[in-house]
Amino acid sequence: MNAQTRRERIAAALFLAPDMVGLLVFLVLPMLLSLVLAFFQVDGFGGIEFVGLDNYARMIDDPQFWVSLRVTLAYVVFLVPLLFGTSLGLALLVRQKIPAVGVFRTAFFLPYMVSVVVVGLLWRYMLGDDIGIVPSALSGLGVPAPSFLGDPAYALGTVVAITVWVSAGYYMVIFLAGLQDIPREYYEAARLDGAGPVRSFRAVTWPLLKPTSFFVLLTSTIAAVTGGFDLVFVLTNGGPANSTSLLVFYVYQQAFQFGEFGYASALSSVLVLVLLVWSLLLFRITKAGKFSYDDA
Amino acid sequence: MSGLSRRHVLGLGALAALSACGGPARGPDAPMTFWQFYAPAPQQTEYQQQQSRWFIELVEAWNSEHRRKIELVYVPVRDYLGGAKLPTAFATGAGPDIFLLSPGDFLRYYNGGALQDLTPHLSRQVIDDFMPGTLETRTVGGRVFGLPMEIEPMAMFYSTNAFEAAGLSEGDIPRTWDQLLGVARRLKAAGQRGMVFHTVPGYYQNFAWYPFLWSAGGTVTNPDGTSAFDSPATVRALSFWQEAVRSGVSPRTLPGEDDPTVAFSQGLVSLWHRGIWTVKELQDVPDVRYGVFPTPVPEGGSYTTSLGGWAFVANARGRDPEAAAEFCAFALGSQRPEAVQRIVDWCIKVKTDIPPRRSALDKAVAQGGFESGVMRTFLRDVLPGARGEPRLPPVAYKAVSDAIQATMLGGADPKAAASAADRAITAYLKTYRGAEF
Repeated sequence: MNAQTRRERIAAALFLAPDMVGLLVFLVLPMLLSLVLAFFQVDGFGGIEFVGLDNYARMIDDPQFWVSLRVTLAYVVFLVPLLFGTSLGLALLVRQKIPAVGVFRTAFFLPYMVSVVVVGLLWRYMLGDDIGIVPSALSGLGVPAPSFLGDPAYALGTVVAITVWVSAGYYMVIFLAGLQDIPREYYEAARLDGAGPVRSFRAVTWPLLKPTSFFVLLTSTIAAVTGGFDLVFVLTNGGPANSTSLLVFYVYQQAFQFGEFGYASALSSVLVLVLLVWSLLLFRITKAGKFSYDDA
Repeated sequence: MSGLSRRHVLGLGALAALSACGGPARGPDAPMTFWQFYAPAPQQTEYQQQQSRWFIELVEAWNSEHRRKIELVYVPVRDYLGGAKLPTAFATGAGPDIFLLSPGDFLRYYNGGALQDLTPHLSRQVIDDFMPGTLETRTVGGRVFGLPMEIEPMAMFYSTNAFEAAGLSEGDIPRTWDQLLGVARRLKAAGQRGMVFHTVPGYYQNFAWYPFLWSAGGTVTNPDGTSAFDSPATVRALSFWQEAVRSGVSPRTLPGEDDPTVAFSQGLVSLWHRGIWTVKELQDVPDVRYGVFPTPVPEGGSYTTSLGGWAFVANARGRDPEAAAEFCAFALGSQRPEAVQRIVDWCIKVKTDIPPRRSALDKAVAQGGFESGVMRTFLRDVLPGARGEPRLPPVAYKAVSDAIQATMLGGADPKAAASAADRAITAYLKTYRGAEF
């Protein structure tokens, strides 16, 4: 290694150091501590006692854990495909050469810039059973409005729909970047070969968008499993009848409302495990995100 | 720029940032902190500003007489009730010296060793001065760990306009659950809104539901500490709230975003099961006509209601636990006339509550605090027979909450829900270590 290379490496390390220190102190260390805490009973007042695997045994016997796991699974299963489809659809729309496309792009992205707490309050007002604009509009059309936030049959779906409204703009931008990387010549060639819009999408857009799709799928799943707390906290507080009690909300409840920090850590480790398995699976399916376009 | 390179500027910036992380210096003589949720905010209503001023004047009175000073710290109410701020502060050893605590949270803090014994600062006379049902939920083994600042019983509020529109009068005021459902149905049939029971899961919903459990003859735990939740009384109370929602006379969410001023003034509610504090909230709302009656009971049941209210507590691991305990006694447990008057002011001037001490109640009555129709009803008809909010450990609270939610909004079988909650409470009690409840 010559002096020039060594200097460059040192410079690179120095530039990376602040980020790495931040990651270690604020992410890796708390994660490790959380995994360790799962083996203790921690009362939040300085009392700490080693309990081995008791917290995990308790989890198995805790019906609320299974309810929350089921709710989280349903949330992810509905949210991720819906978010994927909506954001891809929006990206395809705003890629078109139409007047004032910038306004549409901004409008779709705007909800993502608003605080989730504000979004939650806004939707709570709009969906309120008695004075909400949405139930009033439905009633005006002669459609009986359900209790969007008070009926367990609708509450989780409502949270999913609001999450799509908030996040679709963000993933739209990612898809848009992916779409703009696809050379125009490919579409031109497809058009000369007689391909219509659907065929062009299947033969050109979809295969070339695979790396972006992989990224969106991975990050939106992680966001779905670990997120959703703010919205649930503001909209439903986990209700009605635990129908929106996501695992992340239950973790919060155990830690901060019940003072069971050890048990909450054990619950968190399940979230980490689920995400780890999902990420490995996705990496395996997609060969670590490296796609062969020849298979398309 | 001469003499001050970019490196210097960056270095100074980093130094400033690092020093800011440490927060204000907290020496041994630093003032004690008192965390509560009555912030001075000019945009609030007049009575909310009065509540904030009451705290400021209380602390000023203490600070003028004592070497150990106190400063008020305001926590937004939502963050205080279910947020992470208070638990995080205690978990990191940075909890407040004095704070407000509700019975629902009492055991968690007591069992964690966070509550200072206030008894040495209270005379026997003062302890006996507290009304029944107020100190019990803050006492362990005869020692007092919290002093209530108010008594807040639950009752049924009704809209006089809605009653009149439905052809109902004071003679139709229901006394039993069946009559209550009947009145609510008549109101709905006349195009009015129905009756509201709290719908959001949490400590407050449990608190609002207990009167129905108790008046049916049930309880969460037996005197020996075992679970008593799987009982016909529990099933009856769960079924009543379920029937109210199922039949469409009770909504699944709270009207007017849980704001009674909006709900009553816009005709969004006819009957609402709420606490005495609602009187103050409705006081300055024009054109709102309402009345109050005691929570109805089931056929053959006996009347009761639940008593809420916050208490001052001192942190046993704070900077100066003895001074903090002394402050609690100074504020609410002193025989000094100005201390008693302070309780009176809180309960009848800046809020509408019932004073927790007999001496303060007598003064409040003498000063006209219970002359208005609704306040007279609260004192004469609602308060007698009331019971203090039970202090349950979180797992038991959650089991009760799940049973209410599952039946009321999830349509679950009340018997199955009561049994499931009973099993959860019983399993938990086998390993529970802490104060009795």
